[in-house]
This record gives sequence, C-alpha cells and structure tokens, in this order.
Amino acid sequence: MSRRLRAALIAGAAAAMICFVWSGRPWPAPYLPFFISTAVIGLSFLVAGIAAWSRWPASRLGLLFTIVGYAYLLPATLRNLPNPLAFTIGNLTATVSGGALAYLALAWPSGRLRSRFEVGVVIAEYAWTLVPTFVSMLFWNPSFCGCGGGGHANILLIDSSRSVWDAVNAASIPGSLALTGIVLALIVRHWRSARGWSRRVMTPLLWISVAVIAYFVAQDVTGNLKLAISNGLFFNGIAPLVVLAGPALVVADTVRARSARGAVGAAVVDMEPGASPGRLRDALARALGDSTLQLAFRLPDGSGYLDTSGRAVEVAWPGPGRAVTRVAGADGAMLVHDAGLEHEPQLLRLTAAAASMALEHSRLQAEVQAQLEQVRASRARIVEAGDAERRRLERDLHDGAQQRLVTLSLALGMARDRAAGVDPELGSLIESASKEAKEALTELRELARGIHPAVLTETGLAGAIQALAERSPVATTITAVPDGRFPAAIEATAYFVVCEALANVAKHARADGAQVTIQSRPGRLVVEVSDDGAGGARPEAGSGLRGLADRVASAGGVLRVDSPPGEGTRLEADIPCP
Amino acid sequence: MSVTPDPVTAGAAARAQVRLRVVIAEDTVLLREGLRRVLTDAGLDVAGTAGDADQLLQLVEALRPDVVLADIRMPPTQTTEGLQAALEIRRRWPGTAVIVLSQHVETEHLFELLATDPRGIGYVLKERVADIAQFTDAIRRVAAGESVIDPEVVSRLVARPRRDSPLETLTERELAVLALMAEGRSNQAIAGQLYMSPKTVETHVGSLFAKLGLLPAAEDHRRVLAVLTYLRR
Repeated sequence: MSRRLRAALIAGAAAAMICFVWSGRPWPAPYLPFFISTAVIGLSFLVAGIAAWSRWPASRLGLLFTIVGYAYLLPATLRNLPNPLAFTIGNLTATVSGGALAYLALAWPSGRLRSRFEVGVVIAEYAWTLVPTFVSMLFWNPSFCGCGGGGHANILLIDSSRSVWDAVNAASIPGSLALTGIVLALIVRHWRSARGWSRRVMTPLLWISVAVIAYFVAQDVTGNLKLAISNGLFFNGIAPLVVLAGPALVVADTVRARSARGAVGAAVVDMEPGASPGRLRDALARALGDSTLQLAFRLPDGSGYLDTSGRAVEVAWPGPGRAVTRVAGADGAMLVHDAGLEHEPQLLRLTAAAASMALEHSRLQAEVQAQLEQVRASRARIVEAGDAERRRLERDLHDGAQQRLVTLSLALGMARDRAAGVDPELGSLIESASKEAKEALTELRELARGIHPAVLTETGLAGAIQALAERSPVATTITAVPDGRFPAAIEATAYFVVCEALANVAKHARADGAQVTIQSRPGRLVVEVSDDGAGGARPEAGSGLRGLADRVASAGGVLRVDSPPGEGTRLEADIPCP
Repeated sequence: MSVTPDPVTAGAAARAQVRLRVVIAEDTVLLREGLRRVLTDAGLDVAGTAGDADQLLQLVEALRPDVVLADIRMPPTQTTEGLQAALEIRRRWPGTAVIVLSQHVETEHLFELLATDPRGIGYVLKERVADIAQFTDAIRRVAAGESVIDPEVVSRLVARPRRDSPLETLTERELAVLALMAEGRSNQAIAGQLYMSPKTVETHVGSLFAKLGLLPAAEDHRRVLAVLTYLRR
C-alpha cells in the first residue's frame, strides 16, 4: 500500500469521526448508546480497512472494510445535521451498511465475489435497503420518532401517514429476510467447498455471519413489531457491537498467518536430517494449516509430476481452488496448495523457501553420503587389489624362484654325491653351494609367507591364525577361531589384524603372553588380541596401530585400542561380515 | 602330460632287496625328472610320474604303488590339490604310503593329513630332496608304516615360547627325545641318533610322558599324533 493512500485513509477516517462526533452535539442521552456503538463500529471497520489494505494490497478487502466503515458513519452524521437535504439522505441511506456487510462477507477471503449471481445478490441487497426506505420515507414524518424540528425535515415527505409508513416497512421484511437467507446459504456453501487453508479462514466468518444475521433479523422483526425491547439500551447500544467481529477477523487472520510463518520456520529447523520429502510435506502442511498441501516432483523423464505419495499431479492445471508455487533451487519441485494461500504471498514465499532449503539440504546430504560411499568402496577396492597383488606375488615366487631353487638343490645334491667319491674337494665345494641354496630357500619361503600366507587362502582363518601363533616370539594362545570360511577381504583383514597385533606385542609390549580370540557374531567378525605387557600403546603415536586402524576401516570396521599403562594392551577389531 | 609307467630295469632290481614302487606327482617337469633320476639311482622303482592330481589318482589306481610322492600345490588351482589327492589315496587305498611335499611349514595341512591315520604318512619340506640319502630314507620309512614329519615343522613347534608349560620341566635329553618322537622316529631310531641304549630311550619317554601328563602309547604312530597335538596346543 502506498504511503499516500495510507495517509488518505487515515485522514478520511479521522475526518469522518470528527464530523460524526461534532454533528451529534449535544449528544442527547437517549441516543448516546446508539452514537457510541456507531462510532466504535465505524472506526473499527475503517481501521480494519487500513490494516487489510496494507496486508492484502492486491485484494479488495481493504476497500470493502472501508466502505462498511463509511456506510456506518456517513448516514449517521448526515442525519445529525440540521439540514433537510442532509437529514433526508442520511435517513435514506441509514441501513446501507447491511448491503456493504453482505458484500464483505460474500467476498471473504479473496475480496472478490465468486459468481454473477453473487453480484446480483449484493446489488439486490443494496436495492432492498434503499428502495423500501425511499418508499416508506414518502410517508414518514420525523415526528413519528420524536426527532423532527431544527432543520431535521424529510424533504421526500408527500403524505404524513404513520399507518402507511408502517405498512411499507412491514412489507419489506419478507424480502429482506429472503435476501439474508440467500446470503447465509451462500456463505455456508463457500465454507463447505473450502479445503485446507481456505476452510480455516472461512470457519470464523461462518460463525460471525450467523451471529450478525441473527442480530439483523431480530432487529428487523422486533422493530417492525414495535416491541418495547427494540428501543432499549441492548438493541441500540450493545447488540450492534456483534458487527465488530468483522474487524476482529482481520486481526485473527493476521495472527494466523504470523503464527503459520513461525511454525513453517520451526518445522524446517526441527526436520531431522535426511528426512524423506513425505515427512517434509507433512511438517509443512501441519505448520501451514493447509492439509491439502502437496509437494510435487518432476519425473526424471519430464513427463509429469508426482506428489510425495506417488500420485500424479497436473501442475499446469491444478484444479479449482488450487494453486501452484515453484520451489526455487530444488530442481522441478512444486508446492500445490489451496488457492486461498495466494492471499498470503509472504507466507507462501517463506514456505517455498523452507521447502527449498530442506530439499537442498537433503540433496547435499545424499550427495555427501554418495561420495563417502564411493570413497569407502574405492578404498576397499584398493585394499583388495593390494591383497590380490600379494597373492599373485606369492604364487609367482612359489611357482618360479622357489621351484627353481628346489630343482637346483636337487641337482647340487646329485652332483655332490657323484663328486664325493671322486674329488672330495669338489664334493665339499658343491656341499657349501647346496647349503647356500637351502638358506636361500628358507629365506625365500619366509619372504613369500610374509607377502601372503598361502594357508589363509587354502584353509581359512583357523589354520592361518594357528600358524601365526606358532611363529609368534611371545607365548600366544588362541581361545577361539571360527572354523568356517569368510569372504576373502574379511579373512585377509582379520589375519592382518592378528599378524600386526602380534608383531606389535613382540616389538613393543614386553609381554609374557598374548591371547587371540576371533568370534563370528551375527553380521560381524570380532577379532581380539590382548597381551599382559607394558600397555600405553597409542594409535596416534605412529606405531603400526594407525595402519591397522586404516586397514580395518577399509573393510568398514572399527578398531578399538585399550592400553592403559602397565596393564597390557587389548585390541579389538569389529569387522562387518555378511 | 602323459601317464608314463617306467619299465623295470633289471640291474636296479638285482641291487635292491625290496624294490619299492614309487609314483611321483609334481608339476614342474625339471624337478619331476630330477626326482625320478635320483630315486631310481637310489634303488627305488619309479613306476610312474604325474603332473596333476587327476593323473596321480589314475596312476595309483592302475599301478598300486607302495609309496606316493605328491607336491601339495598342483594345477589347476595351485592350492592344495596334492593334499586332497593324498587324502583320497589314503581313503581308497589305505595301504599306500604317501609323502606330501610342501614349500610351506604349515601345521594345518599336516594335521589334516595325520587326522585319518598317521601310519605311512610323511609331511616333508620340498627342499629335503636335495639330501638324497635322507630323502630315500624317509621314503623307506613311510613305506614301512612309520610317520615322517619334517624336522623344521617339529623344531618350530618345540621352540614355541610357552608359559607355565610342563615342557619347561623337561631336560635337554628329554626334549631331544620328544622332538625325534614328533618326527615319527621309533625308539630304535632315536637310540641310534642320540647314541643311547634303547632302554635309556624308553626311560626318557616314560618320564617325559609322565611330566606332560600324556598316556604312554606303545605304538609309534599314536605317539606321533599325541606328541604333535600336545606341541601344537
């Protein structure tokens, strides 16, 4: 809303109030309740008009509230003026506020009437307040109500007749009741067809309309039946205040939008990381108060949109009462919501932004997760490739160099035996060559074993761990090793853990004994190596423990080291195992 | 590789009092032929040679040799075909002695082999073939129903560090006797090797069995298994 418009509206409201108050001097006591209630109602609608105008600049609601406000204040002011023309016009338009209220109620919450029929109903409402009044005023003498004199003259009067005036008034009642019924029926229909956000906005209006219409009907009926109550304080001063519920609607609506904004923000903040789009939709729908909210995603092939429960959504034609808001940033995501929300663009923008953030967050998380998964997989592949390479090397050594050395030894053995009887010197020379070959064989055997223990691939963990225990320079007992076979990578990791751990025990622990336990638990293999040595081993201190932890991690496992100084070291590798 | 039964040579037959019939399974041609030559020269009858486990089984079925020499690793998978073939031979022809040649010192394989019946079983490191006299002696021993366990395997088991083990209470002599028992030697052989009387050997055996809490076993092959099992614990 422009600043100039706001200033004009404020100035208009102030001027209307001042004129009304000034015109009513000296405020005769019998009319005081009526003056006060009119002033309060008129001012409330004018203020609500300014508020509605600034909140919904694109809607006519502000204008409608303002019209109602002036429809209350202007006729009342004119009636107070000691001028026959003003007095006559004031009385003629005294009930025009009823038509303005009907317009406002029917146009709620968009500010627009929904059909030509409704336009007709509003025109009929105005006409039905003006035409019968005009006719009745032809016979109305202000003295009927004791308000004549001092310029308060009815210039339309042609024949002062109380009975005709009453008759005209009474005749107009069925028509106004019928119109009121139609208006109420239309409001009920609006309420019933509204869903989600619109339903929540319509519900208070429905109750207010019932109350206000009940008041108008009661006023019409009691006034025309000339019941005593119709002139009392209640009917003139207090009951009209029910109309104040109209401006209160603006306040309630503002509060609702504000709290929805807060709730949307909180909902996104509270979303647990990695929550599904379905959870996001539910949280947003709850926070927004629009149970019809849909979060739709474009199909990868671009052929259409699906919502979070897998239903196809027509984004281009979302259906009557539905509207679409694009979620910026999130590729091809759309919010499909109640059209009533379009009157809360800020709330809608916030919701879209919140959805975008949450989706982006999920996407980034999924991306990081995928990258992590890739790194994990590639690390496992690298380790496996290394293992395979070691197996190949060991086999090459076995089938190549070792075999040749054995053949050489055999040949040397034969040569020595032949030479022994003939040339003892040559015999002893060959003997020493034979010894060298044997030494080389032993060294080569241990080298090959260090590269990869054939027994692991051939017989599994049990034999390989037994061999490690037999070779360990520290007394090593095996408490448990599963007999079954496991995937090669897992066996290799478990073997590596025990091998390195026992090597560490021998090198650093100053231990008398070590213990190896391998247990197969559901979904994992737990390898435990403990010793009774000096303790104080620290993985970060650059010992073999670091490499061990890396190796275990490459198989997706965890290495725990418990090594209090002086109390030995306990090493536990927890390796996932299908 | 074809199955090639050897013609019996008349000269060699005259030399040996009992000519043991041997089948060799080894995938390296050079080594296989070297072995054939060495064993033939040593007075054994190399009845046939095979390059893989299937051939070996066919040969054993056809020739029913006294002793089979089998490399553990053979084609096609180069893992433990020789070992599996040895077990198969022992199952189908229990009287056939088998020496498994290994390039590893792995007690796992050894125990797999001994588990059935240690009589006539040998587990020998391949490089032992260089010591021709010892090697032919091992062949004769398994043919006679003894067990032959490579000294390297035994010494590793004996030398293992232990805590609170009765082994620590054995005298040096007793340990030496224990090791030779684990290699599958008879009391007679132990006495010869350690230069003591068979009676003394028996005394040592009795005393060390008592110390270790083992039941004395009269038969050598039971003794081997009992001692090795004890050492491997």
